[in-house]
Amino acid sequence: MQKMDLYGHTDIVNELLARYGVKFGIYKNNEFKEQLFPFDAIPRIIGNHEFAYLEKGLKQRVTALNLFIQDIYGDKKIIRDKVVPEEFVYASSGYLAQCEGVAAPQGIHAHIAGIDLVQGKNGEWYILEDNLRVPSGASYPMIARELCRRSSPRTFQEYHIEDNRNYARMLRKVMDHVNTGGHTVILTPGRYNAAYFEHSYLAEKTGAHLVTGSELIVDNDHLYFKDYSGRMEPVGAVYRRISDEYLDPMNFRRDSVIGIPHIYDIYRKGNVALINAPGNGVADDKGIYYFVPKMVTYYLGEEPILQNAPTYLPFYEDDMRYVLENFDNLVLKDVAEAGGYGVVFGNKMTKQQKEDFIALLKKEPRRFIAQEVIDFLDIDIMDEGKEVPRKADLRAFVLMGEEPMVWKSGLTRFSRNPDSFIVNSSQGGGFKDTWVLSQ
Amino acid sequence: MGIISVENTDRLYWLGRYSERVYTTIRLFAVSFDDMIDNYIDSYADFCKSLDIPNIYTSKENFIERYCFDPEDPNSIYSNLMRAYDNCVTLREELGSETVSYIQLAVYEMQRARISTAPLIELQKVVDNILAFWGIVDDCIDSQNVRNIIKIGKRIERLDLYGRLRMPREEMLREVHRLSGRITQTQLKYRVDYLREIERLVEDTEIDYCTVVMKVDHLLEES
Repeated sequence: MQKMDLYGHTDIVNELLARYGVKFGIYKNNEFKEQLFPFDAIPRIIGNHEFAYLEKGLKQRVTALNLFIQDIYGDKKIIRDKVVPEEFVYASSGYLAQCEGVAAPQGIHAHIAGIDLVQGKNGEWYILEDNLRVPSGASYPMIARELCRRSSPRTFQEYHIEDNRNYARMLRKVMDHVNTGGHTVILTPGRYNAAYFEHSYLAEKTGAHLVTGSELIVDNDHLYFKDYSGRMEPVGAVYRRISDEYLDPMNFRRDSVIGIPHIYDIYRKGNVALINAPGNGVADDKGIYYFVPKMVTYYLGEEPILQNAPTYLPFYEDDMRYVLENFDNLVLKDVAEAGGYGVVFGNKMTKQQKEDFIALLKKEPRRFIAQEVIDFLDIDIMDEGKEVPRKADLRAFVLMGEEPMVWKSGLTRFSRNPDSFIVNSSQGGGFKDTWVLSQ
Repeated sequence: MGIISVENTDRLYWLGRYSERVYTTIRLFAVSFDDMIDNYIDSYADFCKSLDIPNIYTSKENFIERYCFDPEDPNSIYSNLMRAYDNCVTLREELGSETVSYIQLAVYEMQRARISTAPLIELQKVVDNILAFWGIVDDCIDSQNVRNIIKIGKRIERLDLYGRLRMPREEMLREVHRLSGRITQTQLKYRVDYLREIERLVEDTEIDYCTVVMKVDHLLEES
C-alpha cells in the first residue's frame, strides 16, 4: 500500500502547515491566541459511486434551501401552505426583517454552503447541520493536499484521486457569475478573526482583494475600493466573511465598526453582490433543519436523497413526550449555539443537571432540538505511531453559480479525544484530507 | 494584483521597516554583546541611548534577556519581529504564502531562541530567514509597486537607524543613494525638499545626524 508512504510524512506535512501559517484563532480568557490545526495524513476516502450519490443529494438539498430563503423573504408560500410553522421562521435569530422583498443577484442566496455530514456504522450518510452563512474550512484540505502531494508523489500516482485544488477556481466562478461589475473582494473582520488564515489564503488563490470594512466605501449608490494613489475602483462582488449583523451599521447592528455603512442599501438596488446573501441564517437554524427534507419535497417535488439525523422538536407535544421518555439516549442542541457549543448528551448529565435542563426545555421548547445519537463510523488517525479509531464528520462544500457544484473533497474533522463526538477545531479537533476517487 | 489599498500600502511599508529593524538591531546587538563579554559594563546603556530607547534594564543580563526576547518590552527585537509578522500576515494575497512563510519561520526561530540554552547564537536563524524573505520578495513578487513599497520601508528604517548610530559617512552615503534611487520609482508621496536636504547633509564632512534622522522620519509626509 503506497499510502503508507504518505502516513510516514505526517510530521513534515504538519511542519509545513505551521510554516505557511495554517492556523485558527481562538479567544481564551479574553486573549487572542493562534493555534495550529493538527493534520492527520490518513485520508477519508470516498468512492466514486458513493460520492456521486452524495453529490446528487447535496445539490438537491442546497437547491431547496436556496428556494426556501427566496420564498421566506418573498411570497412565503411554504408558511401559507403550513409546511413550516411561522413560529420557527420569525423566532429564528437568523431571520432578518431587513431582507424582506430583497432580490439577490441571479436569485442566489447561499452561494457557498457547508453541509456537515456523518456516516453511520450502517454506511448511511446523515446530514447533521447546514451552514449557509459564512461556512469555513475549505482552505485546510486545499493546502494539505498540496503538501501531501509534495511529500508523497507516489501515493498520488498510485491512486486515482480527484484534485481538490480547484476549489479556488470554483469559488472564483461563483464570484464572477454574480459580480455586478467591478473588482471582487473578500471582506474579513480582520487579523484577529478565527478564520483569518482562510480569508487570506482564499484571497491569494482566487486573486480577489482581501479587505476590511474601512477599505470600502459606498458612494453614489455604488461600492468602491480606494487605492493608495486615491483612485476609486468599483467593486461588484463581496465575499464577506463577517456575519450579517456586523455587515452594515446603517441597516443592522449600529455599533458595528467592521462593517460598511449603506452596503446593504446598494445590495437592495442590485448594485453589488453579497456572497453569501444576508438573512441566510433563517435556513440554517437548527430548528429549521428539521424541515429541510420537507422543503425538498415541497419545492422540488422529489424525495430527499440525503436524510437528516433523526430529530425531534420539543416544540411539538408528541416530540416533547418522546424526548422526555428517551432523554438518556438523545443529544440536545441549543439552536442558538454553534461550533460544538450548546450540545449536551442526555446520558452524560447528573440527576440535578437533567432536572434543570428539563425545566429549561419545558420553558423554552423552541430553543432546543433533540437528536438520536448516531453511532458514527470511526476513522483511523495516527496517534503516537499507532492507528487508532476516532469520531469524524465531513463538511462538504456546495457552490451555487450558474449551476450547483459540489467540491470533490471536503473537510474531515476528527475528535482527538477517544470518548468525544465533538470534532470542532475550537474544541481541540484535528483535520484530514478527503479523497474522492475518480474511478 | 492591479491595485493596492491605502491600508496595504501602509502595511507593506511597515513590514519593510520592522523587518529591517529586526535585521539591523540583531547585527548591532551582536557587536554590543561582544563588548559586554569583556565586561564593558555600560555598553548596553550606550546602545539604548544611541537607539533612543529607554534604558529600563537593570543589568547586563536583564538587558540581554529583555531586549532580545521580552514580548512585553515594546522595543525588544521580539516585539519588532511580531510587528513585522502582524503586517506580513495581512498581506498574503499581495505577497503570496511562500513569501509570508519566511517571516513566519523567523518568528518560530525567535521563539526557539528564546528558550534555547544558547539564545544569542540562535538569533542567526532569525537573520537568515529575514534575508531569505527579502530574497523571495525580489524573486517572486511580480508587482514592482509592492516590491518598491517594502524596500522604501526598509531603506528609510536603515537610514534612520544608521543616523541614530552615527554610522560613518560612506555608509550613510550608500544608504541615501539607495533610497533616492528607489523612492522615485514608487507612487508614494514624499517630500522632495527633504530628500535633497538629506542628500546634501550626508555629503558634509561633519554630518548633522540629528537633522538627517528628523528629515528621514518625515520624508513620506506631504508638505
